[in-house]
Amino acid sequence: MKKIFGSISVLLILFTSLAFAQGFKVKASGEQSFNFADKGGRNQASFFSTTPLEDIRGLSNDVKGTATFNVSDIKTLKGKISVSTASIKTGIDLRDEHLRSENWLDAGKYPEITFEIKKVTDVKQLAENKLEIRLLGDFTLKGVTKEVSATATLTYLDESEQTKMRAPGDLLGVQATFKVKLSDFGVTNKIVGQKVAEEVEVSVNMVGSNKVN
Amino acid sequence: MNSKQKLVLIIGIILIIAVLAYWYSQGAELFTKTQVLVDKTTELDRMLGVENKEYVDKFVLGLDYAGAISAAIAVISGVLIYLFKNKRKETL
Repeated sequence: MKKIFGSISVLLILFTSLAFAQGFKVKASGEQSFNFADKGGRNQASFFSTTPLEDIRGLSNDVKGTATFNVSDIKTLKGKISVSTASIKTGIDLRDEHLRSENWLDAGKYPEITFEIKKVTDVKQLAENKLEIRLLGDFTLKGVTKEVSATATLTYLDESEQTKMRAPGDLLGVQATFKVKLSDFGVTNKIVGQKVAEEVEVSVNMVGSNKVN
Repeated sequence: MNSKQKLVLIIGIILIIAVLAYWYSQGAELFTKTQVLVDKTTELDRMLGVENKEYVDKFVLGLDYAGAISAAIAVISGVLIYLFKNKRKETL
């Protein structure tokens, strides 16, 4: 009798874990690792802020990182993304210099801004190859690390003639946004004399391949 | 106001209007920009759910430079008008 109950319990646990596992319904299976190295500089991270006089959009095309997950269970997702601080542009050279200075991001001392994924929650299946998720992770800016929550959309494309034009292997598109409070990271909210909003919206748009090293 | 002064005044006003019209046609930006954002999203990007924008080198005149140029034109015009006034007095 004990054996029967034991077996039923194991089967129930297996069934429930499989039933609640949400992931991509694509050709690939098992654990996949994606590299976001992009020689063409098309991967990008941007920030959007407002000042009383104008809106500021900062953009970096020097984004790299990795992501590893089980295709059928996105909650296994682990990874890290980094952005070169000195590569951020805002459209005005003087402002870019100010952005890289000690008062703002201090690119000399802190050359990278990073986001390390810790946990995935709130998974929504938008299509067989598309998921919307909430990411909890450690965001490091100017040497200060804080936990932030990001909303992300992941799109998985199996390798095809069209995807090969971008990179070999399957491709993973990641679009994520989150908000950052500047004072939490020791950043003064003035840039070239203009007071910027305390909260800045950060967006990431990047594509990784599981065959690029 | 003599004819030379009138000519300087008209040229000054025309130049200021031209500078402000050019500033307006460039998007009436507040600050002068040396780069602008251009959307380079491809069909594959759209399939992957991502967008792609790039800063490309382009000079966009802002109100800061347009205002400074207009002010300089106004000052030069004012000085010329004053000089022509003095010259007229000397000839008399």
